[in-house]
Amino acid sequence: MHKLKYFRRKISITFSVITIFSQYSCSNKINPSQNITIASSGKIESIDPARVSTLKSYQLLNALGDTLYELNNKGELIPKLAESKPIFSEDKLKVSIKLKKNILFHDGTPFDSSSMKFTIERFQNIGTLNYILNKKIKSIETPTKELLIINLTNPSSSIEGLLTSINLTPISPEFYKDHFDKFLNNNFMGTGKYKLKRFSNEIQSLSPNQSYWGNKAKNNGINFIGYNNSSALYGAFISKQVDVLLSNSIEDTLRYRLNLLSKKKDIQENQSAPIEISFISLRTNKTPLNNTDIRLAIAKSLNRELIRNKVSFSLRNSATSLIPLIFKTNNSVSWPDFDPKESMKIFREQGYCDGNIFNLPLTYRSNVPTDKLIAFYWQQSVKAEMKDCFSISINGVESTTIYKNLSKGIYPSVILDWTGAYSDPEAYLSPLLSCDKFIGNKCLKGESVFSGSFWASEKVERLFKESENLEGVERLNKLLEIEKIASKSLPYLPIWTSSQKAWAQKYISKPIFNGAGIIKMSELAKNEK
Amino acid sequence: MNWQRMKSNIKNVFNYTLIKISLIPLNLWIISSLIFILLRIAPGDPIDAILGSGADQEARELMRNKLGLNQSIHVQYINYLKNLINLNLGESLSNQEPVIQIIRDALPATIELGLFSILIAIFIGFPLGYMGLRNKNKKFDYISRIIGISSYAIPPFWGAMMIQLIFSVIFRIMPIGGRFPIAENPQSITGFFILDSILKNDFNAFQGAFYHLALPSLTLGFLLSGIFSRSLRLNLEKAYNSDYVDAAICRGISEKNILLNYAFPNALIPIFTITGFAIASLAGGALLIEVTFSWPGLALKLQEAILQRDYNLVQGIVIVSSLIIISINLLIDIMIAFLDPRIKY
Repeated sequence: MHKLKYFRRKISITFSVITIFSQYSCSNKINPSQNITIASSGKIESIDPARVSTLKSYQLLNALGDTLYELNNKGELIPKLAESKPIFSEDKLKVSIKLKKNILFHDGTPFDSSSMKFTIERFQNIGTLNYILNKKIKSIETPTKELLIINLTNPSSSIEGLLTSINLTPISPEFYKDHFDKFLNNNFMGTGKYKLKRFSNEIQSLSPNQSYWGNKAKNNGINFIGYNNSSALYGAFISKQVDVLLSNSIEDTLRYRLNLLSKKKDIQENQSAPIEISFISLRTNKTPLNNTDIRLAIAKSLNRELIRNKVSFSLRNSATSLIPLIFKTNNSVSWPDFDPKESMKIFREQGYCDGNIFNLPLTYRSNVPTDKLIAFYWQQSVKAEMKDCFSISINGVESTTIYKNLSKGIYPSVILDWTGAYSDPEAYLSPLLSCDKFIGNKCLKGESVFSGSFWASEKVERLFKESENLEGVERLNKLLEIEKIASKSLPYLPIWTSSQKAWAQKYISKPIFNGAGIIKMSELAKNEK
Repeated sequence: MNWQRMKSNIKNVFNYTLIKISLIPLNLWIISSLIFILLRIAPGDPIDAILGSGADQEARELMRNKLGLNQSIHVQYINYLKNLINLNLGESLSNQEPVIQIIRDALPATIELGLFSILIAIFIGFPLGYMGLRNKNKKFDYISRIIGISSYAIPPFWGAMMIQLIFSVIFRIMPIGGRFPIAENPQSITGFFILDSILKNDFNAFQGAFYHLALPSLTLGFLLSGIFSRSLRLNLEKAYNSDYVDAAICRGISEKNILLNYAFPNALIPIFTITGFAIASLAGGALLIEVTFSWPGLALKLQEAILQRDYNLVQGIVIVSSLIIISINLLIDIMIAFLDPRIKY
C-alpha cells in the first residue's frame, strides 16, 4: 500500500515537472511573432511570376507586387499601377495603357513602360502558363516611360482580364537581368506593399515596404506558413499558433466546425466571391452520351441540393451555370433542375427502364475527398429514386491520371473543377467549350477535348469570335448566349461553386478578399484590445 | 596466435567489404532502372501536373519539348544513365532547380529526424525489453509486451495525429508542425538545425529546433521502439539460457557482470541486423510522420514529386535514399563481422 502511494507520488511529480517545464519553455516558442501568421495548405515552390500557378503563390505575389489592374468585389476593373483604364483603338488591335509615375521597385529602380514590357516578354518567353496569352500579343511599344502600347494579333476583349493576371506582376528588369530566360524561384523584386524578408518552400516572411507609393500595410509584417494536411491546419488555428487560416482545400467537415465557431463569434470568417466551379464532364462523342436526351435525363437526375447539404454542409452554393455569378449581372442561364420523374420519363422514351437500366460509369478524383462524396451521394440518390431506370457505377482515379486520360476519351463521365486563369467570363467558357477542329457536334481538336466532353458547336465558335470584337454588356450577352447553348446541349453539368475562405482569430481584423479571390494581407491588423 | 587470427579476420572482412562495395553500382543500376521504368509506365503525365488540365495541345507540346520528354524512352534512358555516371541527377521538371540541390536541402531534416527517432526507439525499447524479461510473466512484462505490440500495430499517421492533438491542440505546449519557429530565421551551417545551434552556441535556436523535433521524433521513435524491445527481450532470453551464461553463474560472476559482459553483447549482434531493417523501414514510416508534422524532409519531397510526376526528382531521391540504405547496411554487416567471430567469409 505504501509502495503504491510512493509510486503514484513519483508519477505525479514527474508529470508536473514535465508540464511546468514544457509550459515555461514552450509558451513563447510556438508563436512569439509580432507579425501576423497566415497558414495555408501545401508549400510554395516558386515566387517567380512567370512560374507560379497555384492560388497560394498568387496570394503571396499579390502582397509582394502590384498588377496593372485589379478586380474589385463587383468584378470591376480598378487601375493599380496603371493610371486609367486601357484605351482600345478603333480596330481593337491596339491597347494603350497609361502608367503611374514615381513608382519604385523594392531594389530602388523605377517602374516604367520598359519594365512592364520586360515582364510581359519574359512571361511570353518562359511563363509556365504563357498559353493564356495564346499568341494574343503581337508586339509591345514603349513610346514614353508612362505609356505602354500592346499590339494585338486579333481583337481580344479578354485582354482586360489578362492584365489583372498575377503572372504579369511587373518585376525589376535590373534585378532579373540574368533571369530573362530562366526562373528565379526564391526571390522577388516587385513594387508591392511588402518586401520579401525570408523565403523557404514552407515559410515566407514579409516586411512592410516603407516607401510604398499607395496606402501602406496595416500590420508589422506577415509570416506565411504551409502545413500539409487539413488536421494540422485546423489544429494550428484552434491552438492559436496561427492568426489567420486561409484555405480552400481544407476538408468540409473541418470547414463546418470552423463555421460553427464563427457563428458563436469565437472566430471570424469571410469568403471571396465564388470563383471555382465544380462540374461533371460528359463524353459526348460516343454512344449513348452523344444523345442529348440521355444527357438531359442525366442532368435532371442530379440532386444538387442533397449534395450541397450532405457533402458541404450547405457551405457551398449549388451551381446551375458555368460562369460564376460575379462575372455576370444576372443568372438568366440555368441548367435543368433536379426532377427524377421527368428524368425517368425521358429514359423510358429512350428505351430504358423496366429491366433495361441505363448505367453511367462516373469517375472521380480519388485524391479529392469531396469528389468521392459527390459521386457517392449522387449514386445513392439515383438508387433511391430511379433504380428501375438509371444507375451509376463510381470509380476513383488519381487526378494526374485523369488529366492525362481526359483527352483520350477514356471516361464517359468525370467530376472536375475549374478556376479561370484570369478574371473574365471567357476564362470559364473558352477552356471548356471552344474547339479548333470539329465535325458536326464532335470536337476533334481543341479545348473541349482536354476537358473530356469532345463537344463542339459551329454557332458557339462563331459567337466566341464575335465576342472578341465587343465590349461591356454586349460582349457579356454574347458570352451568355454561348452559355445558354451549353445549357441546352449539356456537355457539362455544373454542381457547385466554391469560394476562397479565411478564418481569423478574434483579435485580428476581418479578412477581406479582392474580386479574384485573393486575400488582402495588408488590410489585416492586430486588434489592440 | 590471437594476433594471427585477428589478422586473418581483418583480411577476410576487407575482402568481403570490397566485394560488397563492388556490388553497389550494380545495385544502384538495378534500382535506378526499375524506378525509371516504373515512373514511365505509371499513369499520369508531368505536363498535366505542371500546366494543369486547361493548357492546349500546343502549350503541352512546347513544354514536352522543353523538358526533353518528347524523346523516345530509350534515348531518355541512355541520357539518364549518362548523367548518373557523371553524378548528375538533372533538374526538377516542376521548378527547374538542380535535383542535387533539392536533396541537399531536404536530406539533413530527414537524417536529423531519423537519428533522433532511432535514439528514442532505443531509449524506450531497450529498458522495456530488459525489464520485461526481468519480470517475466509478471505485470510489467505484460505491459511491456502490450506497448511493444501496440507500437507495431498503431498506424503511423494515426499515432502522429493523436500526439499532435494531445500536445499541440489540447495542451498547446508543442508546435503543430514545421522544423523551426515561424518568426525566426534559421542560420544554417550544416543543415542540421540542432547541430548548427550548438556550433553557434545559440540556445534560443537550439530550443526552437528541439521543440519542433520533439513530437515527430517521439512519434517515430515510439513506433520503432517495439522492434527493439521485442528483439532485445528474445535475444537476451536466448543468451541467458545458453551454456556460457550458466558457466559464468557457476564461476560466481555477479549478475551485473553477466548482463554487461556476456548476455548483452551477444544479444546485440542480431539487433544490429534488425537496426538495418529499422533504418530501411524508417524511410517508409518517415513519410507519414513528415506529412503529418509538415516536416520538410526527403520523404515529403518524394511524395510531392510523385504527385507532380517529377520524374527527375523522384529518380534522384530514390537513388540517394537507396545509396544511404545500402551504405548503412554495409556498415552494419562489417561491424557484425568484427563483433561476431563465428561469422566466416
